[in-house]
Amino acid sequence: MTQLPGAETRPALFQCKMASIMSAEAMRAGAAVAAVKRRSASRASTLYLFALPATLLFVVFVAYPILWVAEQSLYAGKTDGGVVFAGLANYTTILSDPTFWIVVRNMALWGAITIPVQMLIGGLLAYFIERHTHALRGFFRTMFFLPVVTSVSVISLVWVQIYAPYYGIAQEYLKHIGIVMMTSPIGDPKTAIYALIVVNIWQWTGFSMLMYIAGIANLSSEVLDAARIDGARGWRLAVHVIVPMLAPATKSLLLLGVIGTLQTFPIVHLMTGGGPNRASEVFGTFIFKQSFVLGDTGTGAALSVIVLVVALALSLIQIAVLGARLSPAGREES
Amino acid sequence: MAPLARSRIRGVVIHSVLFIVLGFWMVPQVYMLSIGLRTPAQAFDAALFTWPVTFDNFVTVIRDNPLGGIFLNSLIITVATVAIVVAVSSLFAFACAILRLKGSMLLYTTLLTTLMVPLASMVLPLAILLKNFGWVNTYIGLILPYAALGVPFAMVILKAFMEDAPRELFEAARVDGCNPWQTYWHVALPLVRPALVFVTIWQFIVTWNEFFLALIVLTKSEMKTLTIVPMQYSGLYMANPGALFAILTLIALPLILLYVLVQRAFVRGLLAGAVKG
Amino acid sequence: MATLTIDKVTKAFGHTTVIPELSLTIEDGEFCVLVGPSGCGKSTLLRIIAGLEPISSGRILVDGVDMSGAEPPERGVAMVFQSYALYPHMNVDRNIGFGLKIARTPLAEIAERVGRAAEKLRLGSYLKRKPRELSGGQRQRVAIGRAMTRKPKLFLLDEPLSNLDAALRVGMRVEIARLKAELASTMVYVTHDQVEAMTLADRIVVMNGGHIEQVGAPLDLYHRPANLFVAGFIGSPAMNFLKGCVDTVEGNLATVSLDLGLSLTMPVSQALRPGVEVTVGIRPEHIVLSSEGQAGAFVVQASVVELLGSDTFIHVRDGEDSLVIRDSGGRMARAGDRIAITLPPHACHLFNEAGQRISDTAPATEPA
Repeated sequence: MTQLPGAETRPALFQCKMASIMSAEAMRAGAAVAAVKRRSASRASTLYLFALPATLLFVVFVAYPILWVAEQSLYAGKTDGGVVFAGLANYTTILSDPTFWIVVRNMALWGAITIPVQMLIGGLLAYFIERHTHALRGFFRTMFFLPVVTSVSVISLVWVQIYAPYYGIAQEYLKHIGIVMMTSPIGDPKTAIYALIVVNIWQWTGFSMLMYIAGIANLSSEVLDAARIDGARGWRLAVHVIVPMLAPATKSLLLLGVIGTLQTFPIVHLMTGGGPNRASEVFGTFIFKQSFVLGDTGTGAALSVIVLVVALALSLIQIAVLGARLSPAGREES
Repeated sequence: MAPLARSRIRGVVIHSVLFIVLGFWMVPQVYMLSIGLRTPAQAFDAALFTWPVTFDNFVTVIRDNPLGGIFLNSLIITVATVAIVVAVSSLFAFACAILRLKGSMLLYTTLLTTLMVPLASMVLPLAILLKNFGWVNTYIGLILPYAALGVPFAMVILKAFMEDAPRELFEAARVDGCNPWQTYWHVALPLVRPALVFVTIWQFIVTWNEFFLALIVLTKSEMKTLTIVPMQYSGLYMANPGALFAILTLIALPLILLYVLVQRAFVRGLLAGAVKG
Repeated sequence: MATLTIDKVTKAFGHTTVIPELSLTIEDGEFCVLVGPSGCGKSTLLRIIAGLEPISSGRILVDGVDMSGAEPPERGVAMVFQSYALYPHMNVDRNIGFGLKIARTPLAEIAERVGRAAEKLRLGSYLKRKPRELSGGQRQRVAIGRAMTRKPKLFLLDEPLSNLDAALRVGMRVEIARLKAELASTMVYVTHDQVEAMTLADRIVVMNGGHIEQVGAPLDLYHRPANLFVAGFIGSPAMNFLKGCVDTVEGNLATVSLDLGLSLTMPVSQALRPGVEVTVGIRPEHIVLSSEGQAGAFVVQASVVELLGSDTFIHVRDGEDSLVIRDSGGRMARAGDRIAITLPPHACHLFNEAGQRISDTAPATEPA
C-alpha cells in the first residue's frame, strides 16, 4: 500500500487511516463473499420462476379438472338431485353397459385402421415427394397438408354432404363400381364407424406425411450412399434401409396416434353424434352424453378416468418397450 | 433404354401418380367450393362441378353475417394463446434443458399427462371453473385453458431443440456475465428459432380450429369463433346448401391462406430438428 | 492481472473423484499451462477456476478473496472454449462485444474496444460476418477477441488450438505468444500438446490422474524432470527408457549396468543399494553417434530410419529395449545399418523403482 503524504509527521492519524482503509478492504472482501452466498440463494429461487407459469397453468386448468373428475367418479347422483358416495359403483355401471363395449370395439377399429393406413399413405407420399420431386415438392407438401389445417366443423359438414345418398358425390362415383347407397354411410349402423374413419384418414394423413418428410430429411446421406454401394437401389433401398431408419418417426406417430384415437371427439359428434343407435360411439361422445346430456356426472367421470388410465398405460408401454418419443426431433437415443 | 431416359420416364410417372392422388384428395375441398358457387337450382346436383358459376351465395352470406367480427374473435383468442404458449413453454423448456432445475424432470413428465386426458372429460370441470371465475363468454376464458393445453407439446419440442444445442454456448454466456434470464433471451431463444417458428404455427392452427371448448364457453353469438359458427349456419341454411358451403369456404379460407404463406417456414422448422440428428 | 490460489481443492462427480486434493498458486501476470494426457483433470481444473464447475471441497482465491462459490464474471474471468462457442446468430462485432453489453458498458466504449481487438487480431474486414461464414482460424481469433475485450483478471484458454489443422496451429501459437506479451492478464492455458506448453508457458503444470506431477519452468521440466511420467511426457520424441540395475555405489556415484549391455556411472542424490532395479532415461537428441572403435561406444542395428531432411530419427530394437536416436546433422542411414552410439552420463537421468528421479546432474549440454 502506498504511503499517504504526511504520514511520517502524523503517525496517529496515519494509523487511523490505515486501519480504516484496511477494515474497508476487509469489509469489501467480506461483503463480496456474503454477496456471493446471498446471490446463490436468491438465484435458486428466481430460477424456479422459469417453471412457474407452466406449472400454474397446469395446476389450475389441467390438474384441478383431473382431480375433480377423479373425485366425481366416486359419487353417484341421487333422485333428489344430491350426490352420495358410491365407491366404484359408477365404474361397474359403465363396464356393464353394452355401449361401453361398442365404444371399445370402435376405438380398437379406429386405431387399428387409421394409424397404419395413415402411416402407409403418408409414408409413401413422403417418400415420393421427398426423393422424386424437386420443383413441385413444396406444392405437394402443402396441398396434402391442407386438410389438417381445415376446421373440423367445416370438414364434417362437407363430408355429410358427400355421403348424402341422393345428392352427394360419393354416390356418383360409387355408382361406377356398382355400389348403390340406400342411406348415407353414416346413417347405417354397420358402416357408420368406417365412414367416419375414412374422414379421419383423409384429414390427418398429411400429418403423418410431414413427420415422415422430417424423418427422411434426417437420413444420413452417408448411410444411403453406403447402401447404394452395397447394391441396394430403388425398392430394395426403400424397404431394407429407409423404412428401418424411419423407425423413430414411426414410433412417434404410433404414440401420437394412440393418444389421438382415444381423444377423438369433434368429428364423431358433428357427423353422427355417436349414432345411429350408438353404433359409432367413441369415448369422447360417450363421456359427453353421460355428463352433459344425461347429467350423470358420476358415470361420465368414471369413463374419463378409465380413458385417462388406458391412455397413460398404453403410452408408458410404448415409451418403455419401443422407446417411442413424442417428437422425433432432437438427438437420437444411443 | 438408356438410364437417363428411364429415370425421366419414372419421374413423369411418379408426378402423374401424385397428381392423380392429389386430385382425389382435393375432392372434398373442391366440392365445398363448387357448391358455394352454384345457384340454388343446382345446389343438390350430385356432381362435383356445375356450370355456370355464381358468386351470389358469397355476397349474400357476407352481407347477412357478421363474419368480420367473428373472424376477429378467432384472431384475438388465437394470437393471445400462441403468445402465451410460446413464452411459457420456452421458459419451461429452458429450465428443464439448460438450467436443469431439481425436480424439473418430474414436473415435465407430469405436465405431459395433459396430452393423455380426453378433453371431453375436462370440459365439465373447466366450465364450472370458468363460471366461478366469471370468465364465460370472455376471451380469457378460452385463452388460458387453451394455453394450458398447448404448453406440453410445445415444451417437448423446445426442450429437445435446446438439449441439442452445444452446451459450451451457454457456458460462454455465463462467462460473458449473463444471468439465466439473459442467457435465455440472448442465447437460448435465437438458437431454437426454427423450433419456435414451428411451435407458433402449429399452436396457431390447433387453437384456431379448436371446437369443443369454444362451443361450451362462448354461447353469445357475438363472441363466437369462426370454428363453431358452422353449426348454427347448418341450421340456418339447411335448405340452401349453396349459401352454407359458401360460408364454410369463407370460414376455412383464412387458415388455408395462412398455411400456404407460412408453410416454408413451418416445414423448415420441422426439418431443422431433423437435420440436427 | 490477478493471483490465483487453488487451495486443497477436490472435485468429485458423484462417486468418482476426479481431482483428489490439489493446491497450486499462479502468480500475477503469469502464463501457466496445464498439460497432461486425456482425462488427467486439466480441463476440469480449468472449469473450476472459471467457476463453471462447483468444487467438492477446498477454496479458490482470486487476489486473496475467496471466490469459491462465485460466478465467472465476479471472478474477473474470460474464457476461450475449445470449440470457440461463438454465438451463431450474432455477427463477429456483436460476438466480441456481447460480454461488454451485458456489463452495461456504454455503447461508444464497446465500439472502441471491439474495434481495437478486431484490429489487433486482424478481424477488421470480418466484423459483419456470422461465425458460419468464417474459417476455423478466424473463428478462433473471434473467440480470443471476445475474451480480450473484457480486460479480464484471469484469461483462460481450453485447448484452443486442438481444432485447427497443423499448419494453422503453428501460426496461431505464435499469435498467442504475441498476445501474451501484450496482455497484462494472468493466463491459464490447457493443452495436451507438450510443444504448445513448452513454447508458451512461463510455468508448466504437468497433471496426471487428477494430481500434479511437477510444476516448473519449461526448461526445468526438460532438464530436471521429477519422475518418469514428466520425463516421458515432455519432449518429442519421448525420452528413451532403459532398464538396468545398480552394480556398485561409491560415495555419490552409482554404476548401473543396463540390460542393453552397457555400463554407466553417474552422480545420484539419494542413497542406493546395489542390486536395486532402476531405469535410465536419455533423450533421443542426447544420444551421440560415434564410431565403433571409440571408448564406451555401443553398436546397435537400425530397424527403421526416418529421414526428415532437418533431422534423422533412427529407431533401434535390441531385445526388449528400444531406442530412438535423433541426429540433427543430416546423417544418412538406412534400415539394417550398424550404428555406434554413446550415452554421455551427464545427459542420462536415473529413476528409482518408484519412478522418482534420483540422478544429480547439472543441466545437460545442448544437443550437438
